[in-house]
Amino acid sequence: MQLHPKKRIEIVVEASCAPSILEMIEAAGAKGYTVLQDVSGKGNRGIRDDSHLTDVFRNVLIIVIATEEIAHEIINNSQPLLENYAGIVTMSDVDVVRDEHF
Amino acid sequence: MADLIQIAAGNFLSPMVLFFALGVAAGYVQSDLTIPEPISKALSLYLMLAIGFKGGVALASSGIDSMVAVALTVAIGLSLFLPVIAFSLLRAVTSLDSRNAAAIAAHYGSVSIVTFVAATSFLEYRQVPYEGFLVAMLAVMETPAIITGLLLARRSLGQASSDRESVFSPQVLRQVFLCGSVVLLAGSFMIGWTTGDGGMQIMAPLLKEPFQAVLAIFLLDMGLLVGKRLGDFGQVGKQLVMFGIYMPLIGAAIGMAAAAAIGLSVGGITLVAVLAASASYIVVPAAMRLSLPQANPAIYVTLSLAVTFPFNLAVGIPLYHAIAGMIGPA
Repeated sequence: MQLHPKKRIEIVVEASCAPSILEMIEAAGAKGYTVLQDVSGKGNRGIRDDSHLTDVFRNVLIIVIATEEIAHEIINNSQPLLENYAGIVTMSDVDVVRDEHF
Repeated sequence: MADLIQIAAGNFLSPMVLFFALGVAAGYVQSDLTIPEPISKALSLYLMLAIGFKGGVALASSGIDSMVAVALTVAIGLSLFLPVIAFSLLRAVTSLDSRNAAAIAAHYGSVSIVTFVAATSFLEYRQVPYEGFLVAMLAVMETPAIITGLLLARRSLGQASSDRESVFSPQVLRQVFLCGSVVLLAGSFMIGWTTGDGGMQIMAPLLKEPFQAVLAIFLLDMGLLVGKRLGDFGQVGKQLVMFGIYMPLIGAAIGMAAAAAIGLSVGGITLVAVLAASASYIVVPAAMRLSLPQANPAIYVTLSLAVTFPFNLAVGIPLYHAIAGMIGPA
């Protein structure tokens, strides 16, 4: 089967910041994204797992698969948005089956 | 005075306060006891729906008069004005910067729905009546404080123009006007008001009998969250912990004076005191995180959730009720 190389970006970010990140992802031209609610872990802001009541201590994981050009734009645009928030941004190479979906 | 101690002791030994204490203890020792998030969410939706509906039904049976409009105006006024006092105090007596002070101030103008619900349950247990429109006051007090908090922050941020604009983003405005708890409270209030006693007959099996027990379970969950936050006390500092206790007393005094001035009942004065004394830990933190991202959420959430909420629940409610009994109509 023919595979197509793409970039996969993962962004762990606090829930209250997620809407602006998602807006930015769409504006950059990505055709879609996946959001995993309530991810927990530990980082430079301590343990983050208080998912109750308030979004302030809750993290989500956003996954985007896009072309290299769009992926770089997302990475660049993510930095100003994350300035005051908990956030981890990574990019990796993936192969997808359905080229036209990304 | 003996009465006051007796009421306070009785309140301490209610299942609500004891379940809350259990949660705090379990959270503090890092027990793996948890209430799953969707269930906790469902419990809080239930409490908001029930309290809104009951208030609407009560208003339908008492009828609407000019008092309702006056009371709502007072409520909005309190929510807008209390942050100014909180902000001035914080700037005067603590070394907090203006962003953190403004963020905290906004919490103290807004309200804690669970504290209000616990207070209504305290009154109902003692068969003290209160006006149905108090629930509407609760709903309108939730968000105006956000606007005052942001104005205070914007004023002290000075001329940094990009900061000034971003303070009132469309996201924050949506939160102010369309936040879920306000929509549900106001919506169930309207439904209760429209359907009246007939509607209550349909809803009563779910909304009346189980209400207190559901509240107790929800408070267990709140206790767990508070217990986990106790570790952040170091970041908050002694001065601010004190603020988390005297600010509700100041708010309650102002609330009681306003409620007595417009002629509310003893139950009504108690509840307005609770509204003015309580601090938000759901709606306002979310708004502040967006608008004032440099303010430290560990401080403002810990203060309202782990200091002011338990204080009002255990000490504040019986105290405000006792004072309301002295100043209210016989």
